[in-house]
Amino acid sequence: MSDGGGRRIRAIAKKEVVEFARDWRTIIAIIVIPLLMFPLLFILFPVLLESEAAELDALELSVIVQSDEFPSALLENFTSVSLTVSLEPLPNVTSLSEPNDDLERVRNSSTDAVLRFDSRNDTWSYAILHLSTSERSNEARFRLLSTLSEWEDSEVRERISDGGLDVNATLDPLRWDGDIAQGDVATSGEQAGMVLSLFIPLVLAIWTYSSAIQPSIDMTAGERERGTLEALLCLPCTRIELLMGKWLAVATITGIGVVLQICGLLFAIGYLASSSFIGLPKLSIVSVGLIVLSILLFAVMVVAFELALAMRSHSVKEAGSILAPALMLILFPALFTQVINLDGIEGFWFAIPVVNILLALRELLMNRVITEHVVIWVASSLVYATLAAYYASRQFSREDIVTSLS
Amino acid sequence: MSTTLLSIRGVTKSFAEVEALKKIDLDIHSGEIVGLVGSNGAGKTTLLRLMAGVYKPSNGRVELSNGKPVEEMRQELGVVPESTGLYSRLTAWENIRYHSRMHGVNDAVAWARTEKFAEHLDMKENLSRHTKGFSRGMKQKTALLRALAHGPNILLLDEPTAGLDITSARTVRALVRQLRDEGGTVIYSTHQLAEAQQVCDRIVIIHNGEIRADGSPSELLSSTGTASLEDAYVSLTLDQARPRQEEADKESALSSWWRRLFTPRTPATTLEVLENE
Repeated sequence: MSDGGGRRIRAIAKKEVVEFARDWRTIIAIIVIPLLMFPLLFILFPVLLESEAAELDALELSVIVQSDEFPSALLENFTSVSLTVSLEPLPNVTSLSEPNDDLERVRNSSTDAVLRFDSRNDTWSYAILHLSTSERSNEARFRLLSTLSEWEDSEVRERISDGGLDVNATLDPLRWDGDIAQGDVATSGEQAGMVLSLFIPLVLAIWTYSSAIQPSIDMTAGERERGTLEALLCLPCTRIELLMGKWLAVATITGIGVVLQICGLLFAIGYLASSSFIGLPKLSIVSVGLIVLSILLFAVMVVAFELALAMRSHSVKEAGSILAPALMLILFPALFTQVINLDGIEGFWFAIPVVNILLALRELLMNRVITEHVVIWVASSLVYATLAAYYASRQFSREDIVTSLS
Repeated sequence: MSTTLLSIRGVTKSFAEVEALKKIDLDIHSGEIVGLVGSNGAGKTTLLRLMAGVYKPSNGRVELSNGKPVEEMRQELGVVPESTGLYSRLTAWENIRYHSRMHGVNDAVAWARTEKFAEHLDMKENLSRHTKGFSRGMKQKTALLRALAHGPNILLLDEPTAGLDITSARTVRALVRQLRDEGGTVIYSTHQLAEAQQVCDRIVIIHNGEIRADGSPSELLSSTGTASLEDAYVSLTLDQARPRQEEADKESALSSWWRRLFTPRTPATTLEVLENE
């Protein structure tokens, strides 16, 4: 880097961030959406679910009960769960599940469900005909099953009692003694780390990549297309300084987006969903330091890779059609990493690109610092970040970046 | 006596198989306005980009008077590219300040210089405006102010009056002459011969990547034995002009095949056939 390189890198980064922030759509995409996405999801989604459930509960549903000998107690139970029952004799079928003539009645919604009930010696047989694509029919089936289950439970208890046995001892011969939660020796901090490790690396990886797409394209292919790059290349800064300045700007914008999204997520989980659901993970200073290092290495790699791909492109359109599908390169390893068992995991997993950082984050959020793993992921990530930066510097050094197809 | 500020020695520039510039030798002296004149695709922009250090020569050297390659001495240059290259979400002054800072010039110094030239160009009132709504003329003037703010020794202008109205073009030309009178050196690319004759002390005619003539307007007339510069230009560039080389489409074979797949053929019908129908 030549004299004043640091000053020029800062000037490039500052100008890029200022210019980017002056577009209100960018502020919404990079700041407002990540901040509000999870809180809104956690507030609105349960509200929506509750209102839907309440609407279903309030429905008066009609069912047909086909039986030659139906218990009157059970009939009363059906009425108490807002089921209007029409009694019919049992049709002549080989199996109660055969729809036969009742198929059309259920399909055209003239009834919400049909319950067939038959007494066979000391037991009862039943089947419910319903339309699984209808909310009303599903709800009718659910109410019938719940009521039948309650009735079966009381029948079982009555029969055990009639046989001279203790009902509780017969039904529940093996019992947990004391508080179940006390049996887990993991601390609440460790449990919180375990839960967070399941989604924070995923959110971090996907959001880092996706939020860097727009600024990467705007600052490379966008500049190329608008004709601003040529004037920039005439300035006394090296191509490496140009790359570093733009990298710093994209990393800053992306970093703000990722931090806000994680804040929104933690706020949503901790305060809106259930405060007992998750707490703060207990992390050592070493773990925190390594988490920061892993995120930094990941950002260097991802942002450099995106800047390189975008700079290779001759237009914004071309860059978009390359960078958007390239998200799969992050998404699949990220999803795959979620199901890898960390207990006794082999070291080579920590050398695979993308997977290494995500596994490292999972371990570190659970406050597990395993030296062998740390050495492998730091070394491999340094190699990948260097390769990505080298590839980006090659793209920025191309002479044809000054020309555009548009 | 004027000194040589910029030397171009045996410079060749190739893009893939095509030689955009062929063995160019050119000296730029202090205090002169040098006009690079040629048709589209002649090699003017390529030569300017080589002088600005954006391109590296395939062969030969482009160096300043101290013998250093031009890419190491860009602070000596002020460049106005053909596209102006202004950021639309920044104000005119912010655009100027950004480039000045990159040149390592203090904001106060850059502002003082900008204010002085903005007065000449009637741009003072527009310095705090975002460039998004600027006309072509205002953009060109802003780019000129930006190129001057750090006090360059050599000004490289690529088609500075292209798309400007008569008054704006006249103002730009007057400023260029004023800069020369104050001791500045300007390299002025244009494909308008009349404009070059009006502004430049020296005209370099480029055609198909070669320098066909280099001298003052009167020297060009006497060397070609013609009565006007237009006749002189025509006599020097009789061979057919080639298309632009550096913009050559570099798409892959797959992209080319895919594009052709969805490109309909030109209708075969002629006017005669239509009339007969």
